[in-house]
Amino acid sequence: MTTLPISLATHLLGSTRSAVLASVLLHPESALHVRELARITGASPGSLHRELRALTELGLLLREEIGRQVHYRANPACPIFEELAGLLRKTVGIADVLRAALTPLADQIAMAFVYGSVAAGREGPRSDMDVMVLGRVGFAPVVKALAPTQEALRREVNATVMKPGDFMRKRHAGDGFVASVIREPKLWLIGNEDDLAELAQDRPA
Amino acid sequence: MTLQNLLKIGRLKPHAPTPQEIQRLLLVAERNLVDARIESISDETRFDVAYKAIMQLALVAMMASGYRPSTNEPGHHQTMIQSLPLTLGLPNETWVVLDALRRKRNASDYQGDSIEFEALTECLAQATALLTATRQWLEDRHPNLLRATP
Repeated sequence: MTTLPISLATHLLGSTRSAVLASVLLHPESALHVRELARITGASPGSLHRELRALTELGLLLREEIGRQVHYRANPACPIFEELAGLLRKTVGIADVLRAALTPLADQIAMAFVYGSVAAGREGPRSDMDVMVLGRVGFAPVVKALAPTQEALRREVNATVMKPGDFMRKRHAGDGFVASVIREPKLWLIGNEDDLAELAQDRPA
Repeated sequence: MTLQNLLKIGRLKPHAPTPQEIQRLLLVAERNLVDARIESISDETRFDVAYKAIMQLALVAMMASGYRPSTNEPGHHQTMIQSLPLTLGLPNETWVVLDALRRKRNASDYQGDSIEFEALTECLAQATALLTATRQWLEDRHPNLLRATP
């Protein structure tokens, strides 16, 4: 991961905290499982657990036990919920905005990242954002989820949606587009470089 | 934005539709949709043909409504897709997906990006749904355009 554009929220709150808060506070309607949060934010389980415990004790998050699973959701009754959500909406970076938009589909997404000129840090003021989504989600749900971000980002967001197996099959077939996507800089939204390396090792049957 | 506004800003021109052209376009769109289901050709070509069917169906709806696009203006594909909620009354959600397919087609045609299976599947589904919606709309609103002519 090179040229990670740091956002104001990341600088103010730290990368784990801003990612956790953006995922949860910008989607107050959904409760997220810890493992899902770990995958979405890329945070280590240890620091994530500490973060979640502290944010719950401070009243920002609600902890829910569903069966044996622990879920977290935003606590809209917290006195600073509105202000903090507003602050996040205004200060989170490109990656946070896109990640938050994909969060409702996260259980169907293995990896998601920005590629192309924006990820490489050589974008012009009107460059489109290219987002790769690997998982078992369909094209239309991803496009619909990402559509509202175009206004906030003031750019068109183009999605490419593939099953991880198809992505690797294309790669092994020598597809130039997939090869360049793998080679070029990425801005990770869900998952990380290790997940991609692991996928690359799974030879197609 | 209304069709009248699109006419005022020069994106559309007035048009008097004939049953012949409407029926011809419908047949071509149907044939394209059949071709797009041929699995032995590349995903890129299948996508292209399904996308073409979407454009032809949007044109049918636009012509039947009394307009045609100014093809000398850039971005007339965008205008065609933009017109669908105004002609057929398509929901905004569908428009969002169709517009994403238009951008996908641009990236494929002009940058050589490959078309993924998910995008092809969606393009086929949208074209199929649009054919049904267009036929139904013509029967409801412009049945004279579907009648056989000598």
